[in-house]
Amino acid sequence: MNEPIEMGRLLRSSTAGCVVGCRVTQLGAPEFGGLLRIPLGGQDDQVYGLIYDIHIDDDGIVRQLVTADTVDAAVILDNRINRNVPVEISVLFVGYRQAGKIFHLLPPRPPLSLDAIFPCSAEDVVQFTGSGRFGYFRHVLRSQEAPVGELLAAHLRQAGQAQSAAGKPQWAKDATQELIVLLRDDYPTLMSVLSALSDAGLGENAPAGGVQ
Amino acid sequence: MPINYLEIQKQVIEMAERSPARQRKQEERCQRAAQLLEAQANQLDELRQKVESAAAANSSLRCAAPFKEALTFCKDAPPFESSAVLLAADGSQIHPDRHDAVQFGVINAGALRMQPGSGEAPRETVTSRLLYHDDLEPPDGPLTEEVVALMRDLEERNLLLQLAKQDSDQQVVALTDGPLEPYVRDPRERQSIKKLFEDYFKNLQELGSLGVCLAGYVDKPGADLVVRLLEIGEMSEEDLPHAERHRPLRGLSDADLLHSRLQPGQRSAVFAIQSPAGEYFNGALALHFFYLNVGRAERPSLARVEFPAWVAREAALVDLLHAALVSQCRQMGARPYPYVLHRAHETAVVSMLEKQHLSELIALQLRQHGVEPGDLSNKQFGKNNMGSRTRYKQ
Repeated sequence: MNEPIEMGRLLRSSTAGCVVGCRVTQLGAPEFGGLLRIPLGGQDDQVYGLIYDIHIDDDGIVRQLVTADTVDAAVILDNRINRNVPVEISVLFVGYRQAGKIFHLLPPRPPLSLDAIFPCSAEDVVQFTGSGRFGYFRHVLRSQEAPVGELLAAHLRQAGQAQSAAGKPQWAKDATQELIVLLRDDYPTLMSVLSALSDAGLGENAPAGGVQ
Repeated sequence: MPINYLEIQKQVIEMAERSPARQRKQEERCQRAAQLLEAQANQLDELRQKVESAAAANSSLRCAAPFKEALTFCKDAPPFESSAVLLAADGSQIHPDRHDAVQFGVINAGALRMQPGSGEAPRETVTSRLLYHDDLEPPDGPLTEEVVALMRDLEERNLLLQLAKQDSDQQVVALTDGPLEPYVRDPRERQSIKKLFEDYFKNLQELGSLGVCLAGYVDKPGADLVVRLLEIGEMSEEDLPHAERHRPLRGLSDADLLHSRLQPGQRSAVFAIQSPAGEYFNGALALHFFYLNVGRAERPSLARVEFPAWVAREAALVDLLHAALVSQCRQMGARPYPYVLHRAHETAVVSMLEKQHLSELIALQLRQHGVEPGDLSNKQFGKNNMGSRTRYKQ
């Protein structure tokens, strides 16, 4: 089995979420809505989180470089590889694993500064999202900072594909039904979520497993 | 206490009131200098002779001397099509401060290597040297800021040399910020300075033997080397021994004179530098320069580019330097400055926070070895406390 590729390290965290820093060249792995994991200590314990924001800061020199007529390829490489301007990835915690068991609860303690962060494999995604009954959705729905509809649409599309490949094409439909139940008393959010799911080809009438 | 605004405001108003007259005077000087430039443009041999005569009578004379091109010569930037390696080095330092708890200094040199068009990512290099114990007490006198600055300049060149050797099979353009001539009052004054000075020249000579296209880039130059040449040029032979007193254009810089004459990307003629340091900078090391407009049509921006004779004598190297600098400055958009030099500076700079961290690290190590570090001076303690107020119940 291949070693998992580290996508960045933790900058700051709480029990609700964290911010991960990585170089621009490491940016290939994370994706908005992607599930990631942060190993806790030496055991197999992990914290799981969903990426809800990725942003790239500028600084004085970058602001100056954009005013040039053309930017040399070497200058672009220099800024992406050498300069100390990290990409910041905001993560919402949605559960954890302890002693081999998955919980859709907030972690007992936040991960620590400079802990390594890994993207979840399709197998990890199937295991986490297939465990329990979508309990982790409440962390997303409660979030004040995340774009809830867009995040759920992106997550359901990615997780639906993994579940479908694992022989559970019904997962995306079940997840959508669960969201409708959870949001039955919050019509504006429900409409926003359903609209995003529809744009992602994951509405109630979408084919099982979502858009391939 | 803040500035006494009541008192200084009157002076600010007075300054502004006097400025238009001063500006008119400057414009008159500029017109006069432009006339002299046109009139003396092709009198290269005569001017060279006059500079030599004036320098013979006044050893501190510092001015330009004609090289091969007419004084009014200007040239568009050749396209930068070379596969040359660009190196830039810059340095920063922490001066030892007796008011600090721990006595130390640092010389930090940073460099960037880039090869535009190669597809390779640029590479950063940093070297850091801690100055402590005997370093802080040279036998021939105190470790002054002048000495530390010379040590920093030497470290920059050492780093350039080390990197240039790694690319000895390719054409290298090596840049530093500021003039190539280090600022030292009299290198013979102290043995330690003399040694640094000698190492500096040895280093330049090695760069020359590698065929490196070496240059110092002076941004927003304030020198009046060409203006001084024009003043000397209008003097009679008999008056030349008193050249230091003939300053009709005093206050006018070369940039004032040339900024409207050079179009974007153009360089001026190459000039030699007549300076007291000519005693050291001679032969292949003799200093030369051109002015370069790295700005745009609506906003000229002049730089002076200094280089040794081994570059000045090779038209291809002068063209390469010209093209590389214009190309590098264009990378920086509205505020042109060679990108590679900016990055070298960014790599070398030591922040106050880093100084503090290093100071704490040294204190920790000293304690681990049973040595108690000193204490901040009371004066420094008071300064550090300025502005930090506390409130009852906070």
